[in-house]
Amino acid sequence: MSQIAAGGGPSPGAPATVAVGGRVRDISWGRTATARRYLFGYTLLAPAVLYVALLVGIPFVFSLYLAVSDASVGVPVARFVGLENFKAALENSAFWTAVRNTVVFTLGAGIMKGLLGTALAFLLIQPFKGRRVVRALVVIPFTLPIAVSVLGWKWMFDSQFSVINWALSRLNLIGAYGSPEWPVWLGQPALALFSVMFVNVWRGFPFSAIVLMAGMTSIPPEIIDAGKVDGATFLQRFRKIIVPMIAPILFIGSAFDTVFTLSDLSIVYLLTNGGPDGATEILPTLAYNTGIKAGALGRGAAISLSLFPLLLPLMILLLRTLRRRQY
Amino acid sequence: MATVAVATPYRAPRTERAKSIRRHVLIYLGLLPFLGLAVFPIFWMLVTALKQEPDLYRMDVVPFWFHLPPTWKNFDFLFHRTSYGDWIVNTMAIAFWVSAITLLTAVPAGYALARLRLPFAENLGIGIFMTYLVPGIILFLPLARVVSTLELQDSWWSLVAVYPTITIPFCTWLLMGFFKTVPFEIEEAAMVDGCGQLGALLRVVLPVSWPGLITAVIFSFTLSMQDFLYALAFVSVSDQKPVPLGVATELIRGDVYFWGSLMAGALLVGVPVAIVYNLFLDKFISGITGAAIK
Repeated sequence: MSQIAAGGGPSPGAPATVAVGGRVRDISWGRTATARRYLFGYTLLAPAVLYVALLVGIPFVFSLYLAVSDASVGVPVARFVGLENFKAALENSAFWTAVRNTVVFTLGAGIMKGLLGTALAFLLIQPFKGRRVVRALVVIPFTLPIAVSVLGWKWMFDSQFSVINWALSRLNLIGAYGSPEWPVWLGQPALALFSVMFVNVWRGFPFSAIVLMAGMTSIPPEIIDAGKVDGATFLQRFRKIIVPMIAPILFIGSAFDTVFTLSDLSIVYLLTNGGPDGATEILPTLAYNTGIKAGALGRGAAISLSLFPLLLPLMILLLRTLRRRQY
Repeated sequence: MATVAVATPYRAPRTERAKSIRRHVLIYLGLLPFLGLAVFPIFWMLVTALKQEPDLYRMDVVPFWFHLPPTWKNFDFLFHRTSYGDWIVNTMAIAFWVSAITLLTAVPAGYALARLRLPFAENLGIGIFMTYLVPGIILFLPLARVVSTLELQDSWWSLVAVYPTITIPFCTWLLMGFFKTVPFEIEEAAMVDGCGQLGALLRVVLPVSWPGLITAVIFSFTLSMQDFLYALAFVSVSDQKPVPLGVATELIRGDVYFWGSLMAGALLVGVPVAIVYNLFLDKFISGITGAAIK
């Protein structure tokens, strides 16, 4: 019986193939130049699209599934638990500390990067001797691999042999080692949050500056000259011409930077790992420590997905500017 | 007569020069804090890497210079007492494979999106680029499952599989912009001469697009050394780690930090990456901000 079925299998199948082939030819795939071009084009696109779909699209959907399951490392079967993971997160005070720190970190560092970046950009667009060298040196923080520079900062923030403290104590700005006026950068809650933000600002300000410079050089000098001719003061020119023209670029730069900042865990992980006592815990480190270290994949996925509401407006904004570029 | 002739041409340049000097001084003064901020940490890491151990822990002398002769000991330690050699080999191998995968996928995709007037090409291009913005912090947990399903956990091959999720979207976008600038005529000329569409791509378009291809390779290469999250999440076996992860995790034993070797190991890979990245920074920036500027 089964043999007959198996034997019969291919024969109904064979005409079907022919039929499909015939139909394909009927709508003239491969016959007209346009159809050939489409076929060629989508074939060229396929590897990239498939790769991204398989390793970004599917994992993204899978993370939604993980977030509503009790999946954990080393346990292959996961049960559906509904919104349990989100509920657990929302009831956990550590989660809310992380949310607060994430917002403070991202906003505070973002503003600092915007200010420093703008100042630096204004200096760097001036024509002066050695500009290329200065520019190459100033962007070093952004070009160094992040883990590498964070290790350098960890040494500079050392509780006892910090070079920053050495300089400050020589200037008599802080007390001697061991006294309460001796700052322990990564050990005191407020200072620790400041320190991790500072490293983020240090890494990001060259990026803001370069983005702004690219925008500023695109302002035609004639417009500024026209403003001068019409008697606008420097401040007026700044407010009425330069700011409106660079604001969109600063905005785009900041949006990209915020996406990078929100998803970066290496600064906090390597400097404080969320400590002291949760003072620097941000959502990325909490998600890592919950999902990988403690092995609660479901819980971790729920925490990392809670970054999504923060990221989504930025992604929509960037999507809209990218679309505008096309037309 | 002669004095007048000499004096007049000199007066104008001198005030001009004084003005220019004043301007330069002001600009340099403004830049000084930024330069100090950017460069000092690197200088400090370098000094630390070359110092002898006792020289690191002295607060009574100016720490910015050597009080004992500089030493290569910290570098020596890296290569003889840790798996640093393995980490470099791993990093290079990861960078090589990621670049290869990226070129093989992003070049055809970028070309198709830019040149073949496909329906939905713009939306597809934007869609691919948007995946660049889906951050690793959302993807790393599900990818951990993917990696263990592929049985790649604790092997650097897991990073070869995962990094293209960042490089393909970015480089497709970058190359799309690049291919748009190649004139259609040279491609048409090649096709008139009997090349097929593929022949025209391989023989004419690619050779004139080499700066774009190099940019894609550099991006892939540097990304493999910039990432920390995926390496941390997927690789925990010492001899499989890439350099940044190895340095950050293996040179700290409990509370003991091998600061000299830490800095040596970090700089040894950090400085080359920074130099290469520096050269290609403008392309990177215009890749992601072209939207607002054009």
